[in-house]
Amino acid sequence: MIHKKRSLDGATRESLDRATNGTGTDGTGTDGTGTDGTGTAGAIEARGIVKSFKARGDVLAGRTVRALRGVDFRIPPGGAASFIGESGCGKTTLGRILAGVESFDSGELVLGGVPLAGLAPRKRAPHFRRVQLIHQDPYSALNPTRTVESILRDPLALRAKQTGQSRAWIDGRAREVLDLVGLDPGYVLPRFPHQLSGGMRQRVVIARALTVDPAALVADEAVSMIDVSLRLGVLNLLRELRSTLGVSVLFITHDVATARYIGADGELYVIYRGEIVEHGPTETVLADPVHPYTQCLLSAIPVLHGVEQPGADRLAPTEPLDESQPEDGCLFAARCPFATDRCRTEHPELGHLGGTAHEHACFYPQRRSVVATPLADT
Amino acid sequence: MTAATQATTSTAAAAPPAVTIRDLTIVYRTPAGELPAVSGVDLDLPPGTITGLVGESGSGKSTLALSLLGAVQRPGRIAAGSIHVDGLGNLVELSAKSLQEARGGEIGYVFQAAQNSLNPLKTVGKQLLDLGRSHGVRDRTALVRSAKELLAGMGLDAARVLDSYQHELSGGMRQRVGIMFALVLNAHVLVLDEPTTALDMISQANVLKIVRAVHTERGLTTLLVTHDIGVVAEVAERIAVMYGGVVVEQGETADVLRAPKHPYARALINAIPRVSGDLSAARPLPGRPPTLGTIPTRGCVFRERCAVYAERQLPACVAEQPPLAPVADGSGRLVACHAVAVEDQQATGETA
Repeated sequence: MIHKKRSLDGATRESLDRATNGTGTDGTGTDGTGTDGTGTAGAIEARGIVKSFKARGDVLAGRTVRALRGVDFRIPPGGAASFIGESGCGKTTLGRILAGVESFDSGELVLGGVPLAGLAPRKRAPHFRRVQLIHQDPYSALNPTRTVESILRDPLALRAKQTGQSRAWIDGRAREVLDLVGLDPGYVLPRFPHQLSGGMRQRVVIARALTVDPAALVADEAVSMIDVSLRLGVLNLLRELRSTLGVSVLFITHDVATARYIGADGELYVIYRGEIVEHGPTETVLADPVHPYTQCLLSAIPVLHGVEQPGADRLAPTEPLDESQPEDGCLFAARCPFATDRCRTEHPELGHLGGTAHEHACFYPQRRSVVATPLADT
Repeated sequence: MTAATQATTSTAAAAPPAVTIRDLTIVYRTPAGELPAVSGVDLDLPPGTITGLVGESGSGKSTLALSLLGAVQRPGRIAAGSIHVDGLGNLVELSAKSLQEARGGEIGYVFQAAQNSLNPLKTVGKQLLDLGRSHGVRDRTALVRSAKELLAGMGLDAARVLDSYQHELSGGMRQRVGIMFALVLNAHVLVLDEPTTALDMISQANVLKIVRAVHTERGLTTLLVTHDIGVVAEVAERIAVMYGGVVVEQGETADVLRAPKHPYARALINAIPRVSGDLSAARPLPGRPPTLGTIPTRGCVFRERCAVYAERQLPACVAEQPPLAPVADGSGRLVACHAVAVEDQQATGETA
């Protein structure tokens, strides 16, 4: 059995086809740990994830970019965690690590109760089947020369082979996953991606992810390229999958409002230069942010004048983001309107705010009203 | 007030120009014949204002914006209508040569995703000199000086930026370089096509602040094309909503956002999740936006997705596309909807 698993892993690694890479039960069976997606075993947990990139090329050669500097988080089965931050803050790297497309330097990642750090990369791979990545761009995530039927058939065929299912199961399952994502199988199956709208394409991408029965979806800016009128439909779908299938969703975005829509009952993580600077229940952090970086991010959300009034304490960073800014004290000190000498020399650790679930990494946490609020009806 | 300024702008060079688009139809040649991407659009850009043009993919907003540059490319062509810009005349009738002078001259254009519109092989400074050469600028020192002024005004280290290649600049910096190129030859009409799409929230807020500042400082008439109502809400005084090649609603931004009248504008605004308040207030819009081939050729373009039509089934909605007409409340709002027109008639009938 171990040999069989190895050869399959080798083959899938060669084909580089992540969607079809699924030996989940086999692999974990050999480790002797349970993997059914219930209880805490289904949770995803990250502890102190660190990742650095060595820059290549002439100009930047040798310079190390610290993408993640020790990130902790936990998502329960069917839960939602949103990561918000500027471009370059490390949120995409985090999603890629979770989906197994990127390695990590140190720390621990626990998927379905199995700690992965100690496993050889080859043994990690089957566990990552449980986490599927939904890309930002549904236009390039689907092979334009293949019909939806053929796109869904490959991962399903492999799954059928592993689980000893018949061909009829493949057809039935393809229709089932399309139903789950709200598409009409009769209409969609024979069509090519270019014949579908952006929203429909993204649903096909999600359906493809569901073919391997994932425990979690990592949605990296999954709706930013979709038309506004169709966005909400895709967001609703992700919400439904959470409640009906118990799929957890890790939502990575710079659009705070969509993060709130997906995970109002979940956790919000604010990430800055590879470090979590504020974290808590989504509604708490949005209503009462205490870290100046979170406050800057939330202040930057456009105000719908006529419908909303801007927060009274809106603020902006004093400097643009620059990776060469000092790393001695608080990473945000160089851009923070309230930084003191202490902030520039001493590094604040993430700690709880007055015994609540709300965490922050700031020496001077202070509530400021930065988010726009609905105007009272006149 | 607008009418008064309009009358004087053609003579006074310093005042911002008015842009008046009338009955503009732009068609694309396809295997299925010529199909309109923009049909019979009327749009006014009052002098000195920022107008936000909002629409989804396939609404015709980018085609309309390109027509302001006289740059609708084959297989597209302007089939009918006029685009009048103070000081330039009707762009549709201008010669190729005068159009070329107007582009980047009187009319500045900031392209979507500035990283794709800058030349990766040349420094920003070199590209600036190219621009000057193509427009016959004699005084290069003055050109560089005004470029530096613009860049410094947008919070950039001007000398460094001019010496940089595009890959050495961040997304927000490239977008500001794009704005500099659009304005360095002293344009008075500024067209921005999705200026913040690839940017994160903080960079977006910075770019919007800069758009607002240069617009006011230089006395521009600005058209901002975007799919993001939030962006329009943040900077534009006026908003025009496009769907399926027609403008369905036009008015003051805050008014339209507070009380949208066209069913599409209403549905679009309701489909935006908010950062505060009741989450369940956000409602998805059923159906999908039409593409060039699927825009209804008869009747209202929005009919198939329209909640009002689904309920009331007005025969007029099937018969013809409603004209963009002022609503009865005297707010200056323009709406293209049969149901709104009928309500207006009933309301005025009752009061009379």
